[in-house]
Amino acid sequence: MRFSVRELVYIAIFGAIWGALELTLGSYLHVIFPPLADTFLVGLIMAFLGVIVALVGRHFVPRTGSVFMIGIITAILKMISIGGVQAGPLVAILAESLLMELGLWVARKPRRWGFVLAGALAIAWNFFHKFIMMYILYGKGVYDVYVGMVKQGASLFHIDASYALVIIVILFLIRILAGALAGWIGWDLGKVVRGRLAR
Amino acid sequence: MAVLRDSRLLSGTPRVAFSAYGYLLFFVGTVATAILAREAEVVCVLLATMVFAGLFSSRSLSLLLRWQLWVFVLPTLALSPLLIGKRDVLLWGLMLSQEGFWAGLWMVTRALSIALAATVFARTVSVAQMAQLFEGMRLKGLGFALGVATNVLPTIQENMDTSYQAMRLRGGFRSRRLHTLKLLLVTVIAGSLRRGDDIVWAAEARAFDPAQSQGQPIAVARADVALAAAMGALALVLLML
Repeated sequence: MRFSVRELVYIAIFGAIWGALELTLGSYLHVIFPPLADTFLVGLIMAFLGVIVALVGRHFVPRTGSVFMIGIITAILKMISIGGVQAGPLVAILAESLLMELGLWVARKPRRWGFVLAGALAIAWNFFHKFIMMYILYGKGVYDVYVGMVKQGASLFHIDASYALVIIVILFLIRILAGALAGWIGWDLGKVVRGRLAR
Repeated sequence: MAVLRDSRLLSGTPRVAFSAYGYLLFFVGTVATAILAREAEVVCVLLATMVFAGLFSSRSLSLLLRWQLWVFVLPTLALSPLLIGKRDVLLWGLMLSQEGFWAGLWMVTRALSIALAATVFARTVSVAQMAQLFEGMRLKGLGFALGVATNVLPTIQENMDTSYQAMRLRGGFRSRRLHTLKLLLVTVIAGSLRRGDDIVWAAEARAFDPAQSQGQPIAVARADVALAAAMGALALVLLML
């Protein structure tokens, strides 16, 4: 992958914008909602914003690898931030940027449906991320722990445990829809920013 | 090309025993062994990580003094006996789960090991070396882009804050919040890209070529090989236990 100076600067800027969002809003949300108490909201919000920024970046650097480079820069900025190193967001940022790249590669040329696919794939990771990070943190008993948590959640909401699967499917679909929406917004926002710069 | 404000770029690594590959291996190895370790075994992984950090990057241990870390650790320890497992113990009028307590403790120990290893990597490997590691993976120009990103980050954060406050004071978030958020994002991105044009002109005026590698390639040190052998042996022991 070879980029021109202008493309590299644009990649740096979009990486820094995503990084700034992670360092400010991300850290703030993680303090308000601790990882064990919140399993849905923070990751979804941060992924949604990150996907929009990275995909607007793709408008300005329409070449394979640009979104992944933006993700690497964001991850490194997050790593060297004052808040210290958190493995979860680092893995999420890198995985999301790789998945966005995959979606954009399938579309070949910059197209709205390519952006929508890239966004949906990226935020779908958010669902699996929980399982993987729980495996890393909990160790080998992750399945038992997860089943236990589902049972407790079912009893807490006074619903049958068998509906927990339905709830999980709905949560997954919400992520897909949020990702598709982020891709749609990213496509539109890219055009708006281009128009603003042309003034 | 760009001058990084991060002092680590200028000062380089504090110790020369391991190369950047060695510290990367240490980080990856710690994550792997933390995953392989079962229950109390993870305490050994944490102790080994702390010893390594103490010997080769003592500043990394300051992670344990950060309040941000304890904001994660303490709620996890407090919530796990309430959320995980069957509640079988009555303590201070609360029904708690022993299984949940131990699961929370091992989870926190694992997280601490991984966070400490990542901090050692971040503290010992300079930003320039991190960029070179990625450039070795055919990502040319990443070092330059990372330098620019580190430089513009404070400006972008300031720009974000100023734009947010301006919109808030004008009552932008009272109605049509999503539209205001969209405008905020457009303002921040457009402003940053305008600033980016100045950086492009400065770089091109100095005939900067992103295809050329920035600095010497990183060589594997002997200590890295020894570290790889030690981590491999530890992983093997954990697998056999």
